[in-house]
Parts: sequence; structure tokens; C-alpha cells
Amino acid sequence: MIAALRTWTDQLLGRGGAAITVPIFDGALKPNQILEQAETFAELDSPEDLATDGTSLFVADGASVLRYDGDTATTAAQVDGRITGLAIVPSGGVAVAVDGAEVRVVGGPSDGRRWTRVDGKPLNAANAICATADGRLLVTDGSQTQPYDRWCHDLMSLGRSGRFLELDLADGSAREIASGLAHAFGAASVGKDTWVCESWAHRVVAYGERKAGLPVVSRLPCYPSRVSPAAQGGYWLTAFTCRTQLVEFVLRQKAYRTRMMREVDPRYWIAPALTSGNTFLEPLQGAHLKMRGIHKPWAPPRSYGLVMRLSPDGLIRYSLHSRVDGKNHGVVAAVECSGTLFVLAKGRRRILKLAVADAERRVLS
Amino acid sequence: MTVPIVEMRKATKKYAGVPAIEDIDFALLPGEIHTLVGENGAGKSTLTKAMAGVVPLTSGQMLIEGREVRPETPVQALHLGVAMVFQETSLVPTMTVAQNLFLGQERFFNRLRSIYIAAQQFLQSLQFDVDPTATVSLLGAAKKQMVEIARAVLHKAKVIIFDEPTASLTPEEKKYFFDLVFNLKARGVTVIFISHALEEALLVSDRITVLRDGKLVVTDRKENFDRARLVQAMVGRDLSQTLYGQRKTTMRPAGKRVLSVENLRMAAMVKNNSLSVFAGQITGVFGLVGSGRTETFKVAAGVIKRDIMYGGEVLLNDKPVRYLVPAPAVRDGIVYVTEDRKVEGFFETKSIADNIYLGFLAKMRSARKLVSKREATEVGERLIKRLNIRAISKDVKAIELSGGNQQKLVIAKSLVQEPEVIIFDEPTRGVDVNAITEIHQLINRLADEGKAVVVISSYLPEVMALSDRILVCRMGKVVEEFSALEATEEKIMYAAIH
Repeated sequence: MIAALRTWTDQLLGRGGAAITVPIFDGALKPNQILEQAETFAELDSPEDLATDGTSLFVADGASVLRYDGDTATTAAQVDGRITGLAIVPSGGVAVAVDGAEVRVVGGPSDGRRWTRVDGKPLNAANAICATADGRLLVTDGSQTQPYDRWCHDLMSLGRSGRFLELDLADGSAREIASGLAHAFGAASVGKDTWVCESWAHRVVAYGERKAGLPVVSRLPCYPSRVSPAAQGGYWLTAFTCRTQLVEFVLRQKAYRTRMMREVDPRYWIAPALTSGNTFLEPLQGAHLKMRGIHKPWAPPRSYGLVMRLSPDGLIRYSLHSRVDGKNHGVVAAVECSGTLFVLAKGRRRILKLAVADAERRVLS
Repeated sequence: MTVPIVEMRKATKKYAGVPAIEDIDFALLPGEIHTLVGENGAGKSTLTKAMAGVVPLTSGQMLIEGREVRPETPVQALHLGVAMVFQETSLVPTMTVAQNLFLGQERFFNRLRSIYIAAQQFLQSLQFDVDPTATVSLLGAAKKQMVEIARAVLHKAKVIIFDEPTASLTPEEKKYFFDLVFNLKARGVTVIFISHALEEALLVSDRITVLRDGKLVVTDRKENFDRARLVQAMVGRDLSQTLYGQRKTTMRPAGKRVLSVENLRMAAMVKNNSLSVFAGQITGVFGLVGSGRTETFKVAAGVIKRDIMYGGEVLLNDKPVRYLVPAPAVRDGIVYVTEDRKVEGFFETKSIADNIYLGFLAKMRSARKLVSKREATEVGERLIKRLNIRAISKDVKAIELSGGNQQKLVIAKSLVQEPEVIIFDEPTRGVDVNAITEIHQLINRLADEGKAVVVISSYLPEVMALSDRILVCRMGKVVEEFSALEATEEKIMYAAIH
């Protein structure tokens, strides 16, 4: 009764859960144009994920896994569906998520191992894999209700059916570590723990001994995607777009949202997107606010490009941006390989390349 | 040779045998703007109070236009042509402007209407935009100063002494005040101007006199001074580098986000403002008056309330908080060190130790059911030592302290609460250079200890000297953020204005 009363007063006064507020990009998240100015390494048809073995870059592009040694690409693996998640298995081979519905190992000693169900529930939107040195695959399954491509539907229906799974390469066993996640998207092994990104909850949580969903980074002003280790310690966390007050408002208006989803083409929803500015039919979101001659970095964008550098304990040290007036939006993966950071801007189907030392110098000076 | 309009010869004033000023030879030339600078306790106020008849000299002579005088009351001094405008205005707050102007000059049959008309005409002749029918308590600081000045001019004062007139003025009000001073000079009035702000002294003065420890150190034309020489003369050593001289070449890395404000709204002052404050850093906040900088942080600390509906959120360690009064904020670790120490900062008739202990009790609340005198003494002595509050004893009343030590007391009252977030609002306003250095060192030390420190200041060099990151507010929200390494005065001012 008291909770219901509180909810009602919150809705009336715009407080608590009904407060339509969004954290600001400031401090270590202060916007810059480094991601926007990064060199384009490759433009592909359907890039989905990146991985590295420390010397080469691997790219999931459609049904293929491309291996880049320098600028030269070769096909490292080929599967019969679209690859939605990719990891290099330390003992050899690659682990791929196929169409979000299956996790498969291609090559190496575990070649041919596959998983389609975990704890009796089918994989539905497997979107990221992390292979650990002790022979496990840590997998995030974004949603049990919406397939991989329909992530925006999952957001608009306030989906909380994501799962975090652990697959054993040695015996093929699998178990569900966490469920009911607000779109699980990306996992990284951090010592004895695993960090998992919960996109719709705007946070990264830790699972491990005595940790079951302990927030590591929370209240992000963006929707985080995959996370990967950085060479100098710490991690790279990507975000495929950022939050706006307008979208937060729509997310709280059930009747409006339901009707919008029923009657409007998903391309024109008031919702985040991986890319924007392609058609005038896109809804205005008050974006592109120009002040003092420049697009202000906190102008609410429909799409955005962001990579965050995390310290080993999860503090954001600095960030790389492609702002509202940029093009390199919809960043879903970043991996560091030999001092170079490769970033996948899915919105433009581009792989960007930038020297870590140079980016760090530019941000911190 | 020009005869000085006021001259002090071997002027000495002792309080209980202790000299406040000693053997001062001072000459004020007609029509000049003469600034007195010096640390708190240097003797500036005593010297001018002796001229204005507030305190009598113990020994020495005072001459007005070559004639020896000995004013024993301010009224006598006023009849001799010397008026003093005090730091705390001496106006009667419940009376109107016109009544204050003519206070003491009332006729037997006094018509309010004729007073208002006369006041209106007089204020207009001075080009002072003040409503003569307005009640003084409702006026801003600048307008009160105008009324004080008008009263002095009305009494045909040839010399007007201003005791730290700009300490409580906003930058815009200061500019207006200086225009008034130049206006007075043009009318042939001689002005003595006491200030801690050295830039102001260098800007407005014809001549500057530096006092130190009750003695006159130097008098010279302003062209012969620069900031470094002034500071050196004031403190006897070169402090210019430790104050604002050096640019920051390193900045502290941000720790965890401790305080964040999201889409905050508070009446017309704060408009959808968002910002974060990080542990282990000094976050400087700059903005012109009305930019909403102080109000934002007052909301965060529970001093004032945000809008009832859709007022945004304040988060402490990522948890939403809503303080209706400061006490719960203090318990959670947020303290706000006020910009107006005399009104909000301390209990002026209580001792230093009692004031500090009251701060401690505010944090402890019901955990301290009984007040312990021994604990009060211990806590007081610890903080007095830590902040180097200079007083004869811990039992000295707050009102008897100098401005710098009063400010340290206000800070001590907050630090005793062991805060996680400390918000300093104008921490060095009306404070002498030595105390400024000490307060700056303290602020830096707090950040080094890992506290989240916020410094709100209207003084750009201070913001730049202290901050690791600088937030610029304009029209109720943060419009720009600079790191200490990229910030320049031009960039900050441009962001604050455009």
C-alpha cells in the first residue's frame, strides 16, 4: 500500500522512478571528437563483433570471421548463419554466436562443440562471448523475448529477460548464472569475477564469489555494449548510443509507447538508433543544439559513438566520442591489439583504428 | 606644495596597551582615491576609524587642511568633513531610504512627502538609481552602499572612507560601485578605500598605502606597484607565486563520482542543471551572478529546496537524496561552507570552541545526548590547531576574530563533521592574503586526502589556481567544462558570458 502510494506520488511529482533525468557527460566522460576523427580501418557489409588474439584482429562480418594481419584480410572461419558474437578461444579456434540462437566453436581442440539451450531455455539473442583461459565461455543472451536484431523492441517493451551464461568447453556443460537482466550485452573475465553489461539498466555488474549483480559502473549516460580488456590493465567499454530525456520520457509512457510500437515504422520511433540523420522522417529529439558555433556535446542525440576506458576497479578514466554531429555512431565493440584500438562503429559499418597512446595523450593533456 | 586634506602625524592607537597602529605618518591629498591595503590586523580600520572619530588616538596628531583637530565622535568628524562608510552598513533597516538619508536632520514638523521629494532630487543629482521610498532592508548590498554614500555626500563630506566596500558585492555591483567612486572624485570628494582585493586597488587608486602590523610600510603612486610588490609589502615576503601566480601543470585524477546533479530545477535560478563531482579532485565552479551556481549546490546540501514537481535529482554515491534541511545532508557527508559567513557562518557571540563543537553536535545529533565541556575543548583545540586559527585563546568570541580567522572558523565548523563532499562558496571573500594562502593550502590538502571538493568563486584567478576541473555556469546551468590544463581566463569568461 505504502509502495503504491509512493509510486503514485512519484508519478505526480516526477520524482524517484518517475524522475525523467539523465546523467551528464562530464568529468571523464567529457566529450571530444577523437572517435569521430579516427582513421577508418575497414568498411564492411555486416560487421557485428571484434576479437583479438593479441597479434591479429578478428572481425565477425556476416557469416564469416575475417582475420586481419596488418591491412590484409583472410577468412578465418565460415558458418551458416550471421555471426552475432565472437571470441578467440585461448586453446585454439574461435567461438561464435550464430543468429543469436546458437554458440559454436570453430577450429581448435573444441571444434564442433555447440550449445543451443541452457537450463532448458533456448538461446535467443546471444550477442557476446568471452573465452577464459580456464576453458569457459561466458555468454550474454540479450533477451528471451526479442531476437538479436530487435533490440530496440526489447528496450521499448522494457525487456528484462537477458541471461548470463557459462559454457564449459571441456565437457560441453552449460549453466545459467543470472537471468532477468535488462538486456545483457557483453561480458569480460575480471580475475575471479565476470563483468556483465546490462544495457537497459545503464550499468556494468559483477558476478563471482559473493557477488551476484554487484554494480561496478552504474548510472551511465549511455547504453553500454561489449567490454574487452585493455593492454595496460583495465577495460574498454563501448556504448552503442546515449540516453536522452525524451527517450526516458517515452519509456515511462506505457500507452504512448505501446501505440507507437503498434502503429509506427520502427525506423521512426522515438528511440535510440545506431545511426541517424538518414531521413527527415526520423523523429526530432531536440538534437543538434548549436551553441557558440558548435554542436554542444550534451545535445540529445538519436545516435552516438562512445568508448570508455575503465580502470581495473571500474572507474572511468577517459572516453572517446563521436558526438551528435559525427558519423561514427553505434559503437558495439572495441579491442586493443598491439597498442592500437580497433573500434566497430556498427551504425556506419566501419572499423576505426586509433593509437591508444596518442588518444590517451590527446584526452588527458 | 599641496596641503593634505587629512594628515596623520605619529598616530598611535593602543588597545589595553597593545598598539593597533603605531607612529603612522599618513597624508591624504585632495581629490585623490587612496587605497589602504594590508592583512587583517594590519591597522587599516583603526587608522580610518581614528580619522572618522570612531576611536580616539592614544598619541599623535590629526590635521584637516593643515589645522589640527581631534574628533571624538563620528558626528564631530562629519562636521569636519570626514565620513566613513562601514563594512556593515550603518543604515536603519526598517526605515526608508529617504528617512535614512535625513536621519538626524529632521525638522520639528517633518513631512514624509517633502523628505521623499528632497531625497529623490538628491539621489538623481548623484545619478543613483535608488527608490527613496524603498525600505532599506529590502535593498541589495550595492544599493545600500549607494545610500551610505549619498548620506555622506549629503552631509557635505569632503573625505569619504570606505571600509571594504566591495567584499559583499557581486562583480556587476562592483563595477557600478567603482563608477560611483569615480563620480565622487569628479565632484571633488577625496576617497579612502580599504580593500583586500589587490586588483581593485591597482585598478581604481591614485595612490596606495600598505600597512603591516600597525605600521605604515609604503605609500606610492599606483603606477609604481604591481601585484607582487603589493603582496611582498603586505606580508613581508613574496607570496605571489603561492597565491594565483602559477598555472597548474598537473591535475589530480578523478576518483569515483560522489555527487551528481541531474536535470535540477529551482525556480528561475536553476534550469535543468546537471553536473558531477568526483572524489580526490577540486571542482571549480565559475559563473556570473544569476548563473545558478550557488543555488545548485545549496539544493544539493539541503540549504534550499528544488522545485516540488519535476525538480530533477541529486545523487550521493549514485543514490538519490532529497534534503529539506542541511542536517541530513551533513549526516550523509555533504557540507556547504557559506559565502556569507557573518550571517550564516557562525554564532558571533559564542567562542571559537563552542562554534566548532556546535558543528560537531550537528553531525552527532542523538548520539550525543549530553554536551561535554571536555569534549568541546578537545574538539575545539584540535580544529584550531589543524586550521591554524589565530586567537588569544579558544574562548575568544567569533566576532572578535579577524576576517580570515572567522573564515577558518566557518571551515573548521564544517570539517569537524568529517564530510565526504565539501562545498566552499567564495572561500576567500574578504580575507587577507596570508589567510588566502592558508585556506588554499587547506582546500588542496582536502582534495589530496580524497575528499570531493567544490570551490565556487567569482574570482577567476582563484578558480584557476585551485581547480582540477572547472565548470562554467550561465543562465541556471553548466554550459562548459574545462580541465585545469586547458582552461584560460578568456575561455572561461567567454563561456560565462556568451
